[in-house]
Formats: sequence, C-alpha cells, structure tokens
Amino acid sequence: MKALNRFRHSKMGMTGAIMLLLAVLVAVFAPLLAPYDPYAPSSPTIEDIYDSPSGAHLLGTDDGGEDVLSGLIYGSRVSLIVGFSAAFISVLIGGVIGLVAGFRGGHTGNLLMRFTDFFLVIPDLALQIVIVAILGQSLRNIIIVIGVLGWTTTARLVRAQTLTVRERKFVLRARAVGGSDFYILRRHVLPQVLPLMLANTVLVISLAILSESTLAFIGLGDPTLISWGQMLNFAFSRGAVSAGAWWALIPPGMAIVWVVLGTTLLGNALEEMLNPRLGRHHLEKEVPPKPEPGSPPDRPEVLLSIRDLKVSFEVGHAPLVAADGVSIDVHRGEAVGLVGESGCGKTTTMLAALRLLPPGGAIAGGQVWLDGRDLVALTPDELRPLRWRHFSMVFQGAMNALNPVKTVGWQIAEAIRQHDPQVSPDAADAEAGRLLETVGIGRDRAGDYPHEFSGGMRQRAMIALALACGPGLVVADEPTTALDVMIQAQIMDLLASLRAEMNMSLVLITHDLGVVAETCDRAVVMYGGVVVEQGTIAEVFRDPQHPYTRLLLAAFPDIDEPGRLLASIPGTPPRLDEMPPGCRFAPRCSQAFDRCHTERPPCYPLGPRRESACFLVERSPQEVGDG
Amino acid sequence: MTRGSLFLRKALWALVTILVVITFNFFLFRVLPGDPAKAGIKDPRLSPEMVANLQERYGLDKPVLFNTGEGGLFDSQYFRYLGALAHGDLGTSYAYKNQPVSSLLGSALVNTLWLVLPADILAIILGVLLGLVAAWRRGTKLDVGALMFALFTWALPTFFLGILLLFFGSHYLGLPTGGRVTIGLDQGFWATAGDVLRHLLLPTLTFALVLLGEYMLIMRSSVVEVFSEDYILTAKAKGLNTFQIIRRHAFRNAMLPLVTLIALNLGFTVSGAIQVETVFSWPGLGKLTVDAVAQRDYPLLQGAFLMLAISVVLANLAAELVYLRLDPRVTEA
Amino acid sequence: MKYRALAVLLGLLMVLAACGDDGAEETTTTTTAPTAAEGGTVRIGWGGAPSSLNPGLGELTEDYSIYELTYNTPITLDLDGNYVGELAEDWSVSDDGLTWTMHLVEGATFHDGTPLTSADVKYTLELYRDCADWCVYMSSYFDGDEVIEAPDPATVTIAKSVPTGSFEGRMVFMYILPKHIWEGVDPGTFDNAAMIGSGSFKLIEHRQGEYVRLAANEDYWEGAPVVDEVIFQTYENADARVQALINGDVDMITEFPATAIATLEANDNITVATGEPLAPDLTDIIFNVTDPANCPAEDGVCSGHPALRDRQVRLALAHATNKQQLIDTLLLGLGTPGIAIVPTGLGIWFNGTIEDYPFDLTEANRILDEAGYLDTNGDGVRECPAGMDCGDRAELSFRMNFPDDSDTGPRLAQTLADWWEQVGIGIQIQVLDPDTLTSVCCPSLDYDVILWGWGSDPDPGFLLSALTCAEIPTGLSESGYCNPAYDELFAAQAVETDLETRIGMIHEMQQILWEDVPYIIPYCALSSEAYRNDRFVGWLDTATKLALEDPSSLNVIRPAG
Repeated sequence: MKALNRFRHSKMGMTGAIMLLLAVLVAVFAPLLAPYDPYAPSSPTIEDIYDSPSGAHLLGTDDGGEDVLSGLIYGSRVSLIVGFSAAFISVLIGGVIGLVAGFRGGHTGNLLMRFTDFFLVIPDLALQIVIVAILGQSLRNIIIVIGVLGWTTTARLVRAQTLTVRERKFVLRARAVGGSDFYILRRHVLPQVLPLMLANTVLVISLAILSESTLAFIGLGDPTLISWGQMLNFAFSRGAVSAGAWWALIPPGMAIVWVVLGTTLLGNALEEMLNPRLGRHHLEKEVPPKPEPGSPPDRPEVLLSIRDLKVSFEVGHAPLVAADGVSIDVHRGEAVGLVGESGCGKTTTMLAALRLLPPGGAIAGGQVWLDGRDLVALTPDELRPLRWRHFSMVFQGAMNALNPVKTVGWQIAEAIRQHDPQVSPDAADAEAGRLLETVGIGRDRAGDYPHEFSGGMRQRAMIALALACGPGLVVADEPTTALDVMIQAQIMDLLASLRAEMNMSLVLITHDLGVVAETCDRAVVMYGGVVVEQGTIAEVFRDPQHPYTRLLLAAFPDIDEPGRLLASIPGTPPRLDEMPPGCRFAPRCSQAFDRCHTERPPCYPLGPRRESACFLVERSPQEVGDG
Repeated sequence: MTRGSLFLRKALWALVTILVVITFNFFLFRVLPGDPAKAGIKDPRLSPEMVANLQERYGLDKPVLFNTGEGGLFDSQYFRYLGALAHGDLGTSYAYKNQPVSSLLGSALVNTLWLVLPADILAIILGVLLGLVAAWRRGTKLDVGALMFALFTWALPTFFLGILLLFFGSHYLGLPTGGRVTIGLDQGFWATAGDVLRHLLLPTLTFALVLLGEYMLIMRSSVVEVFSEDYILTAKAKGLNTFQIIRRHAFRNAMLPLVTLIALNLGFTVSGAIQVETVFSWPGLGKLTVDAVAQRDYPLLQGAFLMLAISVVLANLAAELVYLRLDPRVTEA
Repeated sequence: MKYRALAVLLGLLMVLAACGDDGAEETTTTTTAPTAAEGGTVRIGWGGAPSSLNPGLGELTEDYSIYELTYNTPITLDLDGNYVGELAEDWSVSDDGLTWTMHLVEGATFHDGTPLTSADVKYTLELYRDCADWCVYMSSYFDGDEVIEAPDPATVTIAKSVPTGSFEGRMVFMYILPKHIWEGVDPGTFDNAAMIGSGSFKLIEHRQGEYVRLAANEDYWEGAPVVDEVIFQTYENADARVQALINGDVDMITEFPATAIATLEANDNITVATGEPLAPDLTDIIFNVTDPANCPAEDGVCSGHPALRDRQVRLALAHATNKQQLIDTLLLGLGTPGIAIVPTGLGIWFNGTIEDYPFDLTEANRILDEAGYLDTNGDGVRECPAGMDCGDRAELSFRMNFPDDSDTGPRLAQTLADWWEQVGIGIQIQVLDPDTLTSVCCPSLDYDVILWGWGSDPDPGFLLSALTCAEIPTGLSESGYCNPAYDELFAAQAVETDLETRIGMIHEMQQILWEDVPYIIPYCALSSEAYRNDRFVGWLDTATKLALEDPSSLNVIRPAG
C-alpha cells in the first residue's frame, strides 16, 4: 500500500516501530532472556543489597538483593501491559464518545463535549490517586484508572474528524440514497477516522506508560508486581542515590524513556503520514537550480521568454518530470492563454518560471528571461526585490491565499510598502483602498478580514493585490473557476481594461477555452508536460493543427452550433510516472501511427510564433483531416 | 453571535462547570473507604467522646445530602458546605489540626506558583523558539536534533529527571537539595534574592524541561502546518523575506494551538507539580494534595480540588479570550 | 536574536552555579562568628514536619521533638533509659501507693518571664486529664481518678483511688503549659502559635511543612544552650536529605536509609551514630486469632482463617521466619530481633531471657504435618484437617496486608511469603492505605495477617494493653487475642508500684505471649543519625539511646574549631 511505503521511508517512524518492537519482544521472551527469575523465592544476604554490576549481576542488584537486569526484563511485561490495556480502554471510550458526539451533533453532541470538557478540568493525577485509594492498589485497578481518565484527547480528535467527514459529499449522498446511520458510520466515517485514531492510540500508549510509572513512584502501584515504575519507587524510597547505586535507578528510568520515546516517534510519524500538511512547506531551503549559459532576448517587445524549461518533482526515489522542455514567449501588453487538461503542467510551468515552486519541485533545466535577467540564475535574495514589482501571480483557489488574521487592506498595503519603503503607512492604505475600488470592492471593506468576503470578492481582492506594485507581468491561475458567469465576465473585463491601461502582460492559465477566446491574444496548448501547439487565437481556434487541440475545441460548446454533439476525449492524461515513450498524446490520438508511439515529435514551426508538436505536420498541412 | 455574547456564554459555562466540580468532589470523597469520623487520626486510642466531638465539630453527624429529620431539608453536610463556601470558608484541616484550609492552600499555592510560573515561561520561550527553528529547517539535522531533544525530555518521567538533576546539581554545582530558602538568612535583598534563585533553579529547570518538550512538539507541527498554507506562498511571492513572513504572517497563526495548550497546562500545573515538589521538598499544592489524600484530610482535599478546578476553568477562559483576540475567524463555539 | 537570549540564560546559570560552590559555607558564616566557641545556628534535616504546635493535638514524632525543646515536663527520660527529674526535683509515693507528691525546682520560668509554679502544673495536668473530647493522646495517660492539688507553689500532689505502676512513664509527656495563657483560650482549637513554654529553646518561626526555627532561651533556668538557634528543615526525599548533609546545607540529619551509611561514613567530615531510638519501635506480624465468641457485637466481622486460631500453625510460622535475615536485608543489620510486644529498647522491661524459636523450615513443616495440615490435593498449599471446620476456606491460604506508607513493607511481605510458601502456606499480598488498613483491622478484625508496627512509650503498659480481652471491642486489640491469665497479670502490673515486682510480672506476660504467638516480632529497628563533625561538637552519640535532636544534645553542643 502506498501509505505503508511512505511509512517505510520515514526514518522517525521506523526507528520508533523498531524500538517498540524490541520492548515487546523482551516482554514476550522474558523467561528466556532474564538470567534470574525475580519472582522466585530467594535468600539474599547483606552483601547482596545494592551490589554493583559484576559478572553474576550485569546490572547489579537492587535494594532487595534482586538482579536488576532480570527485574528490568520482567518489568517490561507489567509496564507494557498497563500501557497497552489502559490505552485500549481510553481509545475505546474516547472513540465511542467522539463518534457519537460528532455524528449526532446537536444537543447530544454538545452535551457530550461539555462532559469531555468537564473531565479535562479534573486533574488527572490527583483523581487517579483518589480513585486508587478507593479501589485499592492492584494491576487491574491501575489499568482501569489510567484508562478511564485518558480518553479526552481521543474523544476530541474523533469528534472533530467525524464532524468533517459527516459533511462530506459522499456521506450526504449515502444518506440521500437511504443509508442507515450504522451503515454510514461503518462504511464511510470509520475508514476516515480510524487512521487518525491509530496515530492517537500510539501516543495514548506512551502517556499510559508514563502514568503507570508516576503512580508507582508515588507508591500507588502494586508492589507485588515488578514494573519499571515500581523499580524506580523502590530505588527512590530506599535511598539508591545516597548509596551510589545508580544501577538501580538509571536502567528502569531509561527503559521507560526507551518505550515512551519509541511510541512517540511512531505516533508522530503516523501523524505526519496522515496529515499531508505536516510534510514539506513553503519556507524550506530550496536547492538552487543550475543556471545555463545564454543571453536575453534581443527584441525589446519580448517581456518574458521561457526557454526549454524542465521541472521535476521528488516523489519517493526517482524524480518525476512535470514539465519537459517548455518554451513560451510573452510580449509586452500581450495576453496569453495557457490551456490544457488538469495535470498537464501549465500551473507547474508558470510557478517554476516565477520561482514559486512548492517544496519538492525543482527546475531541472532551462532559462526564464524577464526584463533582461534569467530568473533561473538568480539567488532568492536577488529575486526578492523583483517579486511583485516585475511579476505577480493570482493563485488558483484564492480561498486560503490571504492570511485569515490580517485585514485585506493591510495585506495589500504590505506589498506596496515592501517594494517602496518610502511610502508612508497612510499612503499605502489609501492606495490599497483605491486598488480595491478598481476591482469593484468598496474601499471601506479594506478593514475587513478575508473570511468576511465572499468567494468572488476574495478573488477580486487577490487581483487587486497582484496589481499593487504595478507589475509588467501578471500570471492568473484559473481566476474564474468556481465563480458564477456574471462575476466571471466582470473579472475578465476588469483584467482587460487594466491591461490596456497599464500595458500589462497577462498569462491566463485556464482550461476554459471560451474565456481564452474572448480575452487573450494568443493561446498555448499543453499536454502531458509539453507544449503541443501555440499561436494567435485566430490561428489556434480556427485552424487547430494538433489533434489534441482539435478535440479540445470539439469538446467545447459553441453558441453558433447549438445542436452539435459534444465530443469527449477518450482515455485519461498520462501519469507522470507512466509517460509514454513517443508522443504523449499518441495513446489517445485517433490519427496516431507507428512513429508517434516511439519518437517524440518536435515543435514544428508553422509560421511566426506558430507551432505544433505533431508528426502530422510533416505531411502536408492540408492533409490533416478532422479529428 | 457577537464575540461579546460568545464570551459571556463561555463565562457562564465556566461557572456551571465549577459548581459541578464542587458537587463531584464533595461526593467523591464521601465514597472513599475509611471512616471520616476518624478525621485523619490513625491512632486507635480514639475515645468515643473524641469521636462524638469531632463528628459534631465537622458536621459529620448530619446526613449527607438532604436532611429529612430535624433541622430542615437543607441542614445537611452538602448544603452546609455550599453555604460555608459562599462565605469563603473552606473549613479546617483534619491533619494540620485546626488550621484553616484556606490559609494552608493559600501559602501552598503561592509556593507552587513561584515554581511553576517561571518554569512555564521558560518552557514557552524555549519551546516556541526551538519549535520554530525546527519547523523552518524541517528535515535537516537541526530539526532532527531538536526533535530528538524534545521527544527525549518529554519521554523522561518527571521525577526521574528531577532526581538526576538533584544529584548532579547538588553534587557538582553545590546547589541546595530542597526547600525554598536558606532559613534564617537575614541578609538584605540581593543575598536573599540570590538564595531564592539558587533554591528555585533545579526544580524550575526540571519542570521547564518537562514542559519544553511538549511545547516544542506542538509548536513545530503547528508551524509546519502554517508554513504549508497558501497565504505563506502569497507572502513569499510578494517578495517578503523569511523573517518577515514568520513574524508577520506565520507566528500568530502558529501560536494558536499553543495558546490552548499553555492555558490548559497552566491550570493543571497548579497540581501537576506534584512530582517536582516531592523530589525537591518544595512545599507546594502538589505535595499538599498527595499528603492530604494519604491522610484522608477531606476538607483540605476538597479545598485543593476546588482551587484546582477554578484555576483550570479560569485558565481555559483566559485562553478562549486570547483566542478570540488572536483569531478573527472565531464566531461560534 | 534567539541565540543571544540563550547565551544570557547560560551565563546566568554559570553565575549561579559559581555562587553555589561557596554558598554552602556562606550561610553558616553569615549568621555566626566564624571561630567563636559559642553561638551558631544548627540546621537539622528531617523527613517529616510537626502537625500541630498544641501539645494536646500533636501525634507525630516531629511534634514531640519540638515539644521537648520548648516545654519542660516534671520527669524526663535520659539517654540511658532512666527517669530523671526535670521540673520535679524529687517525687515519691505514699505508703498506700495512692498519692504521689512532686517537689518542683526553683527558678523555672516561662519564655515570657512568668515563673512556673505548681498552679501551672495543676492546671496542665487537669487539662490533660479532662481533654478526652479533643486531645489525641494526653488523656490516655490518665485513669480519670486523679485528684490534683497544689498545696504550695513548689509542690504538686496527685491522689488516685487505684495505684499505678507507671507514674513516671506518664509524667514524661506532661508538657507544662502556662496557665495564664491557656485559661483564656479554648484549648481544643488553640493553635498556640507563640508556643510559650519553659524549655531551653523558644519558637521564633514556623512554616507548615517547611521548617521550624527555634532560638536559644537565654534565660533558661538550667542554663542557656551554647548555640544561638536550631532550625529543623523538612526534606521529604531521603536522598535529598543525605545530600544536604554532604553538601553542608544541614549540620545533622535525624533519619536516612541504611543504604546511605557507607557513603556517609566514607566522608571524613561526617560522623554516623547508631543507637536505640528514644521512643523504641517494633515491627510486627499480626495474626487474627479472634475466637468467634469474642467477636465484637457491633463492628466485628472476624473473618480470620480458622487455622490461625491453632497455636501450632502460628508456631510453625514462627519457625519459618528468619528474623536475622530480615534485619540484614531490610535494615542492613541495624536492628535487633524482637520477642513479644515489648521492644528491646525498653531496657529493663524487655525479657531478654527468652530464647527465640530458631529458623527451621524442616521443623515448621514437621509441626504442620503433625498437626494434621496436609496438602491432600498436591497444589502446594496445605488444607485444614478433616475434623476442623474451616468453612469454605479449606486451603491454608492467608491474606497478608500492610500499609502503603511503609518503606520496608513490600520487601518484608515478599520475603515472608517466600518462606511461608515453602511450608505449604498460600499468601495473597494486598497493600492497603493506612486508613483502609485500620478499617479492616480493628475492631472489625476482617483480615488474616497484617504487617505493621508500633512505636512505644517509655512505659510498656500501653502496648501490653493491646492484647487484653477488654480491648477487642474498642479496636485497640489488633489480634483479637484473649487470655484470662494474661489479663490477670496485666491488671496486677498496672497497679504495682514496686519496680522489681512489676518487672517480673511484665516479663512473665512476655513469656506467655511468646508461647502463644499471637504476634511474631521480626525486629526492633535501631536508629541512625549523622552529623557534620566539622560544624558542631559535643553531640551525645555514645549513650544507649540515640536522639541528637533531643535537648540533651542540643543544649550542650558548641561550634567546632
């Protein structure tokens, strides 16, 4: 399974698992491993008390003349049994309460959560002491006490997760189809909740083991059973330190640390595995790409020149290539539509070009010339002053692109002041307000937080932000997805007028051909990480050369042809790790022939700034029939 | 729901919780085996007159919950207790003969706070810093090192760490092995301050190390989560350097989970210092509570649990307040 | 920036550590002149703390240690176990044995300057006599028939209707209170924070659970102590206490685990002293021998195993108990084997002529075999013989309880279980907290075997009473033992004023108890204390009894050097 595979690569997780496994093995094979049986009757003499380590006793003897090593080995049994059993009880109780609270919601859920909160208010240790005093000191009671008091974190966790799952579409759908509560729980909720519970259980185990040692230390353990906590208790109350008998104290303490450390490592690793957000992040140190020799474009109208850009991603062992030699030119004032299916590499290409790749992504080759400089060759420090002033980006899905605890106006003003420190805070705020007005949001909303904006407003705020420093190039990634048609039109109009005003270049990443046709000057079609066709709108839309482009166009409704049957493109785009050897589109192409499957077609120039990467071009263009 | 009324609702719930805890405590101790009439005196030479006197003095001759006999329905142990509480009277201790519970708890609380607050502050500062650095340099040796350190100190049983520090600290550094001050040292402010610090060092260090691990771990995962948010990418794209991003955008968001944890801990450390107090003979609430259980000192126990519950509830309330202040998104419970 | 903070922190740590090295010496030199042969502050580390400054309410050893220093009693015990007069110059009893007369010393005063007269003594004795409803121990030293008179300021008479053999033993606890202060308060709730007494030390500061600070009474009527102050500091953690002595944070410690002795003795600046404790104690193994006919009507459960009522079984178990080995392993040799409920430390009262049962497992097995307890089903545990009614407890499997506040309890229980299982007795060990243990012990008598202990007064009378029939329903009798011959002797010794005769009676009682084995007394622990010989000298550590915190030492020690 993929998850297990990932786990094997987690050094932390494997270390923890091995540590835990070793402890369990020691517990299971205790009679075989221990040199003495600490439970057997013995007749110690004075000399045997706190005897230092020797051949007969590798870890010396304790205050009762018993072999410390044997006690350590047998002690693992009690400590681990208590840990696992108590954790089991905790997770069971917490899981049930959390599930019911999250699933039922409403008053029952609230009441249960109040109950949980109330439980949290009671001090664990003090209550444990009292309850053990009531029930008496025995192993069973210790397990019950630790178990019954440790369920709160699990309950909260399970409830939170159940709540999230409950609102998911597939659950709502299951309900609509008439699934019973129990069925939904079992089939949909549990699979989502169990992995988290697993990670949580491991951590609860470590807490339970620590609890046992603490209780034993205070003298509430079962003194007839050997556990690590009990060993510490004896050492502590019978003056091991003063006797210099470190061997009676350190080994059991270290044993506890060993097991707790192992379980915590394991639990942490599991959590990291299950929560993708705990993986890599944006502020990690990036590996600088190797700059290649080259010179800036010689024509002044070329603002951005992406040359043979290759982008790879680290997934497991082998890096996967997401963009394989992409070359795009953008002139000043030009609007270029970058289109293709999801996963074709259009966003990745632009992120790479702007040096904003997510962690794990790297530029594997190529150059990106902007305003006379190769962005690939610059260090992060050199890039920083250029950012936002020369190029900016409107990210896909602006929901989280704004900081939720800062006002929108502040975030825009921040960009302004970052690149022009002379600007006073008031002036920057005023400018921010003006920008918001420009995108159709009243300047009085500048003091609001992102969550107080609707989705469309947030998108527009992002655009305002992107324009804050008057950049020459703006890259907009799916700026209108999930917006209704009216807003969509407004935003596209806005962008067009801004472009005209400021002579700004725009790269519009989208899979919506209609928008491209309306607002862009040129279109670049990508598939499987390569450019398959580019040209002006007229050229690409009216006379598509690449079979993929043709299919794309055929799949889009045309208001002039209301009755036309919409075609769908059979098959799916290739996976990054399963790239076909020849033309990327060949497996889905109805016009593919042998050469297509074995050789990669180059980008054939068909005219000024017009090209298509298809072997069909080699035959006469007129022979290219309809798809 | 406005944030003001939200806070009010939470405050009300806090009050209810405290009341429930009071009742819970009261009946919990009545369930303990052993005769409360013995009032903590273990000597069998307890004369019948003494028993009768004690019973009357502590009101143990009344029924527990409701009085169906003479004296009125509410002339019972429970309601008498509530009545006394309303006057701020927590009763007198059984074990520390005739001393009022409130004064015993008061001085113990002060001692515990002396220990716990500096330790918590130290742990927070170090934990936040370490967690931040570890998250930032995630995956590097620095991260692994910091992680190992935090996990190790977290895995160490508190008393074990305490004993080790006690031994090494006193043996090699000559630090005192117990108590709050050197008694009888009437030497002027600086000498006294130095003396207090010397006594405080080892227990505070122990406690801080124990808390540090947990804070660091939470901070680290919180920061990593925040660092992978989209708005961090936006900030990076805007041209902010790492320091600016952390300070202005990441820190506050990352601190939020930590705030809750700190508050919870603060509430609990009022009792959670049991282990440290025992090892270092620190006369705080933790030790008082443990001794009170052993001696079946009900009035003291009830008082201690009550104080603990109140502090936890208050700490939680404070955390919610801080949360409300920090996170503008919070509009519902 | 963060590194700077850390560096500052580290720097602070190092500075404090540096202060720490010479800080230990500093604390004593700042409060005393370095080389004077007078004055000085003695710091004593102990493991507990007083529970009350009111002598009527005190019940812990620590309480009594403080009372000894701040108050005087008419008669006191010296370190050789002899009764000597303190406030009483002399005392005598009338010929009919009913009236005791004490002549008080001259010049005794309280800390506030008021002279101590017979009026104070009369007031105090009457107070203690009548305090059954609020005081813990004091009223038990009176029979209730005492009529106390103060015919003149230096004479006190106590007239009883029945003679007593333990007059001195009672007087040693009569801490004389200042009448002019106590008659104006409710003694039962008086916190006595000022602690005005007549002793050689005055209380100056008390912090509950932390320390007690005493200053020398410069006007002490017997002569002021040499030192200026004595401070008792609480270190609950034994290792911390020992380390405190090694570091010099304290000058003497009153208790420490035997395992630390080697470390302490290796230190030239430390002297370790061992001796009988001032208040001797014993550890006991209590058998539930309650005859169902004696079971208390009200609270008695009396669930003891019937086999334990058979002397042969108890005798066998006595043979299966190696007292010397217990002393070696649990006390590292610092103890003496016990015989009956009179501890060895009580000197003349202890019957040293009895030769104890030897440790002999073979003999133990033989006794049980002969008595008919055989293991018929081969499970290693003997069963009751055919003719005996053991109800549903046919197997000789006993519950063994001990309190959870005992350091040696677990080890003792395990060792005993090891031996006794070898003679075919099954043992289930169950640790209980002291309160629960009391509730199963007495008077409910709901147990089989209890491992516990007693601390003893100088007079053996009280402990001996715990084995009388009359104390079964009161809860004082732990074992439910009832022997009319024993009771007769007990009644006789209580009123016997002739010392030799009384000794003879008490010795005979021990003989009876040793033969009947309701208890096995494994050992009476010796007391170990340690002090810094480079700080103060003159500690009385060579007498029979060891109590360096007693006025006997604290009044005379002086700074070393």
